Amino acid sequence: MARRPARKPSSKGSSAKRKKPKRHPLRRRVLLYGLPLLLIVVAGYVVFLDYTIRSQFEGRRWELPARVYARPLELYPGMALRTGDLNHELKMLRYRPVRTATEPGSYSRTGELYHIVTRAFTFWDGKEPSHDIRVRIGAGAVSTLEDARSGKHLSLLRFDPALIASIYPSHNEDRILVKLSDVPPILIKGLIAVEDRQFYSHHGINPRAIARALWANLRAGHTVQGGSTLTQQLIKNYFLSNKRTLWRKANEAAMALLLELHYDKQQILQAYLNEVYLGQDGRRSIHGVGLASQFYFQRPVQELGLSRSALLISLVRGPSYYDPRRHPKRALARRNLVLDVMAGQGVISAAQAQAAKRRPLGVTADAPSGISPYPAFLDLVRRQLRRDYREQDLTSEGLQIFTTLDPTVQRDAERGLVQQLRQLERDHRMKRDKLQSAMIFTRIESGEVVAVVGGRDPRFAGFNRALDGVRQVGSLIKPAMYLTALSQPQRYTLATLLEDEPFQVRNADGSVWAPHNYDKTFRGKVPLYQALAKSLNVPTARLGMTLGIPNVIDTLHKLGITREISPYPSMLLGAVSLSPLEVAQMYQTLAGGGFRTPLRSIRAVLNADGKPLGRYPLTVKKVASGSSVYLLDTALEKVTEEGTGKDVHAFLPADITVAGKTGTTDDLRDSWFAGFTDNLLGVVWVGTDDNQSSQLTGSTGALRIWGRVMQLLRPTSLQLTPPGDIVNAWIDPASGRATEQGCKGAVQLPFIKGSVPAAGAPCTSKGLNWIQRLFR
Amino acid sequence: MYVKGTQLDTTSFQVRLTFSQVGAMLAVLGSLLLAGCATTGGEPNRAPVYQSGGAPVAPAPEPQQNTPAPAASPAVVALLQDSQRQNDAGQPARAAALLERALRIEPRNATLWQRLADVRLRQGRAAQAESLALKSNSLAGTDTPLQARNWQIIAQARRDQGDVAGARRAQQRAAKLGSGSR
Repeated sequence: MARRPARKPSSKGSSAKRKKPKRHPLRRRVLLYGLPLLLIVVAGYVVFLDYTIRSQFEGRRWELPARVYARPLELYPGMALRTGDLNHELKMLRYRPVRTATEPGSYSRTGELYHIVTRAFTFWDGKEPSHDIRVRIGAGAVSTLEDARSGKHLSLLRFDPALIASIYPSHNEDRILVKLSDVPPILIKGLIAVEDRQFYSHHGINPRAIARALWANLRAGHTVQGGSTLTQQLIKNYFLSNKRTLWRKANEAAMALLLELHYDKQQILQAYLNEVYLGQDGRRSIHGVGLASQFYFQRPVQELGLSRSALLISLVRGPSYYDPRRHPKRALARRNLVLDVMAGQGVISAAQAQAAKRRPLGVTADAPSGISPYPAFLDLVRRQLRRDYREQDLTSEGLQIFTTLDPTVQRDAERGLVQQLRQLERDHRMKRDKLQSAMIFTRIESGEVVAVVGGRDPRFAGFNRALDGVRQVGSLIKPAMYLTALSQPQRYTLATLLEDEPFQVRNADGSVWAPHNYDKTFRGKVPLYQALAKSLNVPTARLGMTLGIPNVIDTLHKLGITREISPYPSMLLGAVSLSPLEVAQMYQTLAGGGFRTPLRSIRAVLNADGKPLGRYPLTVKKVASGSSVYLLDTALEKVTEEGTGKDVHAFLPADITVAGKTGTTDDLRDSWFAGFTDNLLGVVWVGTDDNQSSQLTGSTGALRIWGRVMQLLRPTSLQLTPPGDIVNAWIDPASGRATEQGCKGAVQLPFIKGSVPAAGAPCTSKGLNWIQRLFR
Repeated sequence: MYVKGTQLDTTSFQVRLTFSQVGAMLAVLGSLLLAGCATTGGEPNRAPVYQSGGAPVAPAPEPQQNTPAPAASPAVVALLQDSQRQNDAGQPARAAALLERALRIEPRNATLWQRLADVRLRQGRAAQAESLALKSNSLAGTDTPLQARNWQIIAQARRDQGDVAGARRAQQRAAKLGSGSR
């Protein structure tokens, strides 16, 4: 058998020390007393062996890596879903396209009609059985969902979740535990037929097999055949030593006998199936049929057919010699031999063997790597886990970690980011690969993080800019100021006129801070909503100074920024450094109507048995008046209607309402966009790692990535729910006074009851409108 | 199964097993499956536990005549029913998990937020119940019965937190909305 790296430091070394004392066959008296003594020593040794093997067997604790799963796809009639999304999901789950789906984990498709047999899965909140379903997709949504057998309509079902990562212990041992009942009977019968025909009748060792092997080996002059029973092989696997000494063999045989004395065949067989060494992936050793099945075929062991089962059985004799990826010919020959043996033993019919022999090896081209394709998201998960679990538990306790990652959003986020960065570099004639970027997408009401990209190479597990790229946020900070103002409806409304006149502040150290607008002009007076929509610096800075810097900082903290913020006037225009994750938390609260929901990447953690260890429940906290936030969000909609965020409609249809804000920092170092639609919030940063000018504003840079990703995701329009105390009124923006619909320049704005400005704006009807008014 | 299962330390468990051989024998099969999971009987639940005064929290007065969710999809209706069953079976954590699933499908469904508030209240998590009921109100639009019921939950949650005056104010709002709607 091929060997694997030694693994378990233990007391086994002591067996050498306990060797029997040397016999001195000099005197009879010595013999007289020595013989009983010897018997005692031997008996003691047997007891010791018995103890060792039983501890090993019962106390066997495989170090199981934590398994990390994406969110499961929930399917229900009416849900938005495109065929491309469903195909992507099925591919991630490694469902097999077949002509007629009968087995779990397979599907067939005719145009927009799918027939899928899902896999059963145990979630934190219960078991989801396997479903045999027909799904029809029409106009980008699930139009029919029914049980394929009964034809009954189904209201909801859950797929199994895609495995997105495993967190390995330092020595990289990996395993997927299986129960005997999970393993196809054909695999078990075949294994016994090939490796240990008398398994069910022997008592641990098989003298006839040993004699046969000895004879064969003697004739050949070297080892050609092994006589080990499965029990002996299991013991060999437990106490990994490569030495083929007689002493070792004797020990093994004794332990095999002892093991059989204590445990029944089924128990031993199950242990064997989980223990057997079947491959090597770099430093990761592949143990047990559960993992081997994933490693070679990328499917659960339950879904192995005859030919694949036979291949696994072949590997028992030498996983590296018969490695089906490196030595496919050898592996094929060995597999076919195994099939012949199985037929010869009557496990299968000759016809079955013939059919199976015609099949290819069925091994996937690449071994599923132990490395996650989503390093940036996983980084977030690990940080959250480390707060609650010890590193050791994460890598050895077989935890199942259910995350919030949405593979579809993640895919579109990566695509959009990669495409647009190249496009930006081309459009602005930059050096290739000059720009860097990061993004994070969340679900608005639940605070679930659905996608994280940490840099322009989404697979690279290096610096995670989404979490650690702490950069100045520029105008992204402004909503905090405007919310502070709008929380005082008696003083500020969306129509309040703010001064846009030269302005300077003397800092405590004597230096002078004199903000100016991006276009270096002053407009005199501007209504509050326009100052935000057009991201004017001067009126904002004035407003912030009037409100008081500590009050603005207080609002930022309420919105979810926990970092300490220095109370310098320049912070009012965004001289505050935050990570995209922090920005997302802040905007989450704005998108959530003033309810702060901590961003989460984990839904639940289960132990290896499926018992919930930790839940990460949805929590909310009201931190701002819903009405004030409603006003602010309306202003953020104006950003994309008429302000600095207009260009989102280069990507999204005009009837899709979006709220958002651009951010740009000095010398165009950082380009930001944060925005949300009905159910998705996204924050994008673009810049350079060495903090040089990116030559991009929020609008020309980050917005274009955000827009492209949203375009791929096809979001639904934002629909803010007006709280009960909101009224709409027509306003003349020039004077900030109430006017009438139809008057020139009149805009309709929401107000908190009692704060609608007084009328009094002169009404010049616009253009031909007076004719229309005549006829009203 | 592991009599000394609390150890996560793999090197120490073998020694300790001496004391537990007899019992453990019977449990080999199970232990094999359990192997690797070092959780113990008393594995602390990591989810925050909110303790209320001690007595099981009474649901807010008169369990509401289930306000039908406006145009809830069949999926949400099914989850709501499941959630109700779990709640009735004394499984509030499962009931909450099902409501969270429903909220992923209809994040702005005020009824779902209210149910979640209800479950939290039953679990003794009064502060969270109050927040969730407020959230439900923020999405309730003109549904005054729903709002009245939310204020009842808030009143109860405040009582549980010892805020008598706040509870009274909430109760008054509930009463006002309740009478207005009839």
